[in-house]
Amino acid sequence: MGKKQDIWQGTLALMVLKTLDALGPLHGYGIARRIEQTSGDRLLLNYGTLYPALLKLEQEGYIASEWGASENNRKARFYRLTRAGHAQLKREARQWEETTDIIARFFAPEESR
Amino acid sequence: MRAAKRFLNRLAGLFRTARRERELAEEFESHFQMHVEDNLRRGMSADEALRQARLKFGGIDSAKESMREASTIMTLETTWQDLRYAARGMGRNPGFAATAILSLALGIGASVAIFTLADNLLLRPLPYRGPGQLMMVWETNLRRPAEKRNVISPANYLDWKARNHVFESMAVFTEGSTAFNDGARVEELEEQYISAGLLPLLGVQPVRGRLFTAAEDLPNTPNVVLISYRLWQSWFGGDEGVIGKQIQVRSQPGTIIGVLPPGFYLRSRGVDLWEAIGLDPARDYRRNSGRYAMSVARLKPGVTRERAQAEMSAIAKRLESEFPAFDTNWMVNVEPLRDSLVSEVKTSMLVLLGAVGLLLAVACANVANLLLARYTSRRREMAVRLAIGAGRARVVRQLITESLALGVAGGLLGIALARWAVLGLLALAPRDLARNVAIEVDYRIVLFAVAASLLTGIVFGLAPSLVASRADLAQGLREDSRSSVGGGGGLRSMLVGAEIALSVMLLAGAGLLFRTLVGLQAVDPGLNPSRILTFSVLIPGARYREPVQRTQFFRTALERIEQLPGVESASAVSFLPFNGMSAGTDVTIAGRPPMKPGEELVATIRTVMPGYFDTLGIPLKRGRVFIAADNTLDSPYRFVVNEAFVQKYMAAEEPVGQQISVAMDRTHPFGEIIGVVGNVKEGALDKEPTPTVYYIHAHLIYTGMVFVVRTKNDPLLLADPVRQVIHGIDAAQPVAQMRTMDDIVQETFARQKFSALLLGGFSLVSLLLAAVGIYGVLAYSVMERTREIGVRVALGAQPGRILAMVLGSGMRVVLAGVAVGLAGAMALTGLLKSLLFGVKAHDTVTFAAVVLVLIVVALVAAYLPARRAASLAPLNALRAE
Repeated sequence: MGKKQDIWQGTLALMVLKTLDALGPLHGYGIARRIEQTSGDRLLLNYGTLYPALLKLEQEGYIASEWGASENNRKARFYRLTRAGHAQLKREARQWEETTDIIARFFAPEESR
Repeated sequence: MRAAKRFLNRLAGLFRTARRERELAEEFESHFQMHVEDNLRRGMSADEALRQARLKFGGIDSAKESMREASTIMTLETTWQDLRYAARGMGRNPGFAATAILSLALGIGASVAIFTLADNLLLRPLPYRGPGQLMMVWETNLRRPAEKRNVISPANYLDWKARNHVFESMAVFTEGSTAFNDGARVEELEEQYISAGLLPLLGVQPVRGRLFTAAEDLPNTPNVVLISYRLWQSWFGGDEGVIGKQIQVRSQPGTIIGVLPPGFYLRSRGVDLWEAIGLDPARDYRRNSGRYAMSVARLKPGVTRERAQAEMSAIAKRLESEFPAFDTNWMVNVEPLRDSLVSEVKTSMLVLLGAVGLLLAVACANVANLLLARYTSRRREMAVRLAIGAGRARVVRQLITESLALGVAGGLLGIALARWAVLGLLALAPRDLARNVAIEVDYRIVLFAVAASLLTGIVFGLAPSLVASRADLAQGLREDSRSSVGGGGGLRSMLVGAEIALSVMLLAGAGLLFRTLVGLQAVDPGLNPSRILTFSVLIPGARYREPVQRTQFFRTALERIEQLPGVESASAVSFLPFNGMSAGTDVTIAGRPPMKPGEELVATIRTVMPGYFDTLGIPLKRGRVFIAADNTLDSPYRFVVNEAFVQKYMAAEEPVGQQISVAMDRTHPFGEIIGVVGNVKEGALDKEPTPTVYYIHAHLIYTGMVFVVRTKNDPLLLADPVRQVIHGIDAAQPVAQMRTMDDIVQETFARQKFSALLLGGFSLVSLLLAAVGIYGVLAYSVMERTREIGVRVALGAQPGRILAMVLGSGMRVVLAGVAVGLAGAMALTGLLKSLLFGVKAHDTVTFAAVVLVLIVVALVAAYLPARRAASLAPLNALRAE
């Protein structure tokens, strides 16, 4: 069960970084909602995997967190992208594009090759 | 960089655990609430909103767990959890915990106790400056090669000192006892007479006062005395005014000039007084003096013992040719001081260290076995834990924590046990081993114990836990009694086999020593030691100047003692047999050509008062014994000899009536042998009797005599009455070393007794542990095979067959262990040789008995689970999970 999670977490990390990049500081629930919405509710995010991913990103220094108040004045922890996070996002995005590009070539119609 | 940061983060996390935990809870809480609110906004009912939110939070507990794992280094917190869990587990299974902890405590306690003794006696540095450079210099006689430590002649010592180039300095000393009198009280104290250079050579400084000057170390100088720290404290109450205090030694005036440091001793720990030996450089000690001193020397820097030995041997050779009458066959032995102090107890200590090591190994094997059994039976639990998301490392850690907890508990109990055991050991130990020795468990040994127990915990926790954690998940969950062989079953059998093998070795050693002990008890000592009171009286030569006064003192004392109610007879002798010390010299038989130098007839010499042989029950073989009329100065010289003397020196002749001369006094005229008495063992029971010549006191006057009093009842009841008799003659006369003859004889085999008792104890414990091991393995395998056995019974197997089957599987392990153990015992018992008497190191009877005992114990241990298997009702067995 370990390996599956790793791949998922890697992808999840990229989604989190991109979400924070797009929307600015967000709390955990906000990140989760946003990811689900962006995926067109095709992804069902288990919160049990979200928080370890957040902690890992924070420990790696890609995101930072601080306490703040949510839109309905609830105390919540807000995560934001750090400079290292921006750089990491760029790196990961490039990698991702390359990967998808390669994968795409496999599935492209015969004639365009 | 990043890795470092992560590490720092985790490190910080270690200290922020509580806060982080709280924050996590808050964050989840707010997340949960937001979710619920959102759900409500989307038009769900309150119940539905909560339910949906909870569903999404399904994995939250495992999320928390993995976040915690990430947030600390070794996760002290989970360790604490593991510990609590371990404690709960032990509480649930007290039999297991108690057995494991007790096994460890016994193993560790015994090894710490023995190690403490060994450390004090063998390993700890001697309390002298540069102890590695210190040597004892002995004489040896080529005709008695077994005797490596003969006392030395002062004449030879003076020549060695003058001629050698290997020693920085040499010193000489003798031992004795002295009546010490401070005007208020008199006691006989142990004393050493030392050359002035001895204490500087050892690097000893007085704590008060000063040491001897060279001028004080000459004959006929005033008596100046050094006292021990112990005497200063106990007799003088630590009085600072003790320096310069006037006292009496040997009834002559003397002055205390110094106090030696606490704990100082040289060879004998009981010495309280030191006086200068006062050797006379002008005197020819070869002419009228024998060998009676000991010498210590310090090697020059860079000189090895071997080189010193070579040069001293060369000097001895030269002395031999210069003084053939005195030095023929006499060589020199240079021996490290430490070796000379411990060699006699070394074998015993090494044997005990080895034995205790074996015991510790058995204890560890037993604990490992118990842990394995426990983990095997917990496989399903482990599988469940793995299945609900515990990391493999976490499971291993849990198991190691449990075994560490066991190890520490066993270690602590072991240390407590050791403190108590050391006291017991000292009470049991031979006197020369434990005399006045201050032995305590020190912190290094406690560290050793803690390390030993931790190591035991880790090593023996790791193996089973690896086995357990490797357990295949799915199989572990499905696990039931259908699978017949549990994980680690083979390992467990091997451990039990090892326990049995080690037990066989211990039992064999103990058996041999016990047979030795029985053999020694059965040896005829040559006298009847029961109901004999002995004590020594040393009369001061200065007060009893005339020879006739000296004999008169002892005659009067004996007459009065014989008048006491409860006394059958009484006499006195110069040196008691079995008490270690005796005098010896050359004997000449009339009518024979003079012996060549170095081939003289040597005999042990005792001087006795009339009635000695009757009192001690030494049988008369020919002729007659001394009577009162022989005990006068003007009576003709007459001797009594023992059978060994006759056998060795006058085998073909009638001894009674022959004339002999004994070089014990200056004139040594020939005298008639009037009788032959039975042999008395000299020194120890396991030694051959030596030729002995008895003088009557009037012709060989000793001022120090040992009284022997045969009583009608308990001899110690007469201790006070005889003391009063002596004090009635001279109120200032001390009486020393009041003991029974039985004790003295017993003490000669104290060494064997000590080793036998300890080894016996060790082997019983290890036998018990091995029995527990056998029982455990079989009980477990019966439990595992319940269903199989049920099937067999249902198919018609008789209970007897089931019993035999289980017993047989146990016995295979036992027999394998016994075989290995016997081989090991064969190899190891040779080391015991010097402790054995009357039994060979490979004694068949002992070995057979050991095997028998072990198999009987193993059968009993195996019978219980086998009977349970045989009495299983097939229906229940088949239904068993």
